[in-house]
Amino acid sequence: MPVDFYWRMAMEGDQPSLRRKGAASRGGFAKDATGGLAPGTREGGPDGYSHLDYLAEVARATETSGFVGALLPSFPHTDDPWAAAAALAGETSVYRFMVAFQPGFLHPVQAARMTASLQVATGGRVVYNIISGGGGPQQLWWGDKVDHDDRYTRTSEFLDVLKGVWYADRPYDHEGRFYRVEGGGLPPSLSGQPFPEIFFSGSSKAAIVAAGRHADHYLSWLEPLPSLAAKFDQVREHCAGIGRVPRFAVRLDVLARETEQEAWEEIRRGWARPGPAATPAFVGLGDSVGWRRGQDLAGEGNEDDGHRALEVSPNVWGGFHVLRAGPAFGLVGDYRQVAARLDELIGLGVEAFVLGGVPHLEEAYHVGERVLPLLRGGAAGRGGGS
Amino acid sequence: MTPEFHLTLPVERRRAAALPPLPDFVTDLRPSDAAGPYERLARVGRAAELAGLDGVLAPFDPAGQDPLVVAGGLLRGSRHTRVTAEFHPGIATPVYAAKLSASLQRFSGDRFDWRLTVDLDPQTARAQGDFLEGAERYARAEEFLTVAKGVWSQEDYDFQGSFYEVLGGGLLFPLSGRAFPRVQLSGLSAEALALSARHGDVHVFGLDDDLDSGIAALRELSLETGREPVYGLRLPVLAREDDIEARRDALRLWIRRGGAREAFPEPDPCTALWPGFGTVGLTGSHEDGPAAGFHEPGLVGSYGRVADAVRGHLDRGVSVFFLEVEPHLEETYRLGEHLLPLLAKEKHHAG
Ligand SMILES: Cc1cc2nc3c(=O)[nH]c(=O)nc-3n(C[C@H](O)[C@H](O)[C@H](O)COP(=O)(O)O)c2cc1C
Repeated sequence: MPVDFYWRMAMEGDQPSLRRKGAASRGGFAKDATGGLAPGTREGGPDGYSHLDYLAEVARATETSGFVGALLPSFPHTDDPWAAAAALAGETSVYRFMVAFQPGFLHPVQAARMTASLQVATGGRVVYNIISGGGGPQQLWWGDKVDHDDRYTRTSEFLDVLKGVWYADRPYDHEGRFYRVEGGGLPPSLSGQPFPEIFFSGSSKAAIVAAGRHADHYLSWLEPLPSLAAKFDQVREHCAGIGRVPRFAVRLDVLARETEQEAWEEIRRGWARPGPAATPAFVGLGDSVGWRRGQDLAGEGNEDDGHRALEVSPNVWGGFHVLRAGPAFGLVGDYRQVAARLDELIGLGVEAFVLGGVPHLEEAYHVGERVLPLLRGGAAGRGGGS
Repeated sequence: MTPEFHLTLPVERRRAAALPPLPDFVTDLRPSDAAGPYERLARVGRAAELAGLDGVLAPFDPAGQDPLVVAGGLLRGSRHTRVTAEFHPGIATPVYAAKLSASLQRFSGDRFDWRLTVDLDPQTARAQGDFLEGAERYARAEEFLTVAKGVWSQEDYDFQGSFYEVLGGGLLFPLSGRAFPRVQLSGLSAEALALSARHGDVHVFGLDDDLDSGIAALRELSLETGREPVYGLRLPVLAREDDIEARRDALRLWIRRGGAREAFPEPDPCTALWPGFGTVGLTGSHEDGPAAGFHEPGLVGSYGRVADAVRGHLDRGVSVFFLEVEPHLEETYRLGEHLLPLLAKEKHHAG
């Protein structure tokens, strides 16, 4: 079974390194524009470049260094993935755009039309990351007051309607709890496109149930391996009950260097730098079961503990959220160690990865060229390579 | 008012245009994939950019590509032209529409605009999953624009209406602080005019509409709202070196679209008005049905005569023209090179 490696597009802007925690000065996300780029300054004025120009460079780097595409996340503080995918559709040739979106915010007919249009524009390179939201203030910020389990019910109905419209060979009708359509379908100029592969995120029971019906890949943030294995078992068990075989995908950051010391030194410097954690408070506050799991497993990152206290097992580090916006767990080590941990994950049944690293441009080359070639596959991983 | 000229983009209903085979003895290095819809649109977009038009409009047509996706690509491929996407309020929440648009503004230097269609015909609307009818649609459009503008420009924004609810909303840095898309609206009903007086930046008329009374009504409403949109006009055009040539090509267009030669309506020699731009069955060479966006009356005549007609509309208060032409690429260059120079004075010395 081939394993797909995706990278990320830093829709939240990018930092020059993990040492500069929270200073997303690439893409115009730092309030202090000094030293920022895309937009940068020339002769005292803006140089006319935008975040999109940087994202395009990252996409090109991603495409040529061994990744099949990238996840484009979507949070209140980020640029929008549909906008970026539409703008960059013509600029890569095999790169897949894994667009993250919450079903409630677009109408499913519009989602079908936008997706099919993007499929036409890209030659069928759209992939979905279906997210159902983290709840709390963030959900209300978006204008969505549907609560946790109902959001998954809506997600399910949304995907039913989207597929109904997509595959309709006669006028499609639907009357449900959240959506109603009469005589829907796609016109000849949009129909017959491949339906995007679905990566589905969510750790709660409701998520697992909804994913069971719709997911091609069950996508999880990295957790300590035993806990991740237990979660996969839970999903397998649910899927067995409905006669489906789940496929697993994991999203994690990697920091890989020539030597292990060099890698940890990178972390140490970021950790030692004064200032608040990078992840906006906003992100962690909701009803997200998955986010809670990550935070509980990582413990509350505290500068006094020292960064190595968050290494829960060799090379598995739960402090990334302090150094850049995003989830806690990732891998830190030399190239071989990181490759061996990825092999272990393959051994647990992971068939797709969404890797990330800061800064996304240089690290895409770095990880693609130095780590991916060292992978040996799941059999090696199950043997517990070093 | 400085006049502005926007090109209405074709609705891409075809997948790829088949190229005619070349004779065997001709070296044929053509790429095997004929240009797809997005490449064709990109070429038209670049034509508008190079020909000096002010903008392009991606119209909504259920049979065509999605205007937001089209707009994203065209903004990326241009430096100067504004790009308008036409959509209806049912496609997304206003927060999401605002957020997506804020990114497009960041990517493009604030060149993205909205045309909000409120009055879709009910069957089309229901196929898009939208069952609201009548005045309720205007009530929703009002809320949609209120919320989109609210989250755009305010922090800690709260809203509770009949259609939307937001708590602690508001775009965050650096998505905040960009120019809100210019809002284009249309319609002659009392609700439509009232919506424009409150939220419209451009109110778009058709040549068939009673322009003077529409403008007068909006001016009056804008006394109450304290803001007045500028006025726009959809304008199909076929302009040539002289009237005779223009008539000849109008006749060709007519016949190509399936019109009978005997039934050809003559362009008005004084006003250059020609009613035939969309009247015929529109089958002919359009294998996939009528070319949408080709409204009925338009202008046919020499460059000078068409320029005069444009000046006439400027005098009546219209300043934004949404030109509709076919074929798009050639006609766009033609307008840029022959018609717009005649209007250079109006363009550069407007009050
Ligand atoms: C890999 C992954 C990526 C995610 N990406 C996003 C995202 O881009 N935007 C977002 O709002 N939430 C994102 N989420 C969070 C989900 O919306 C949801 O809050 C999370 O999966 C928790 O759901 P649960 O309560 O079922 O665990 C992501 C989750 C995972 C696992």
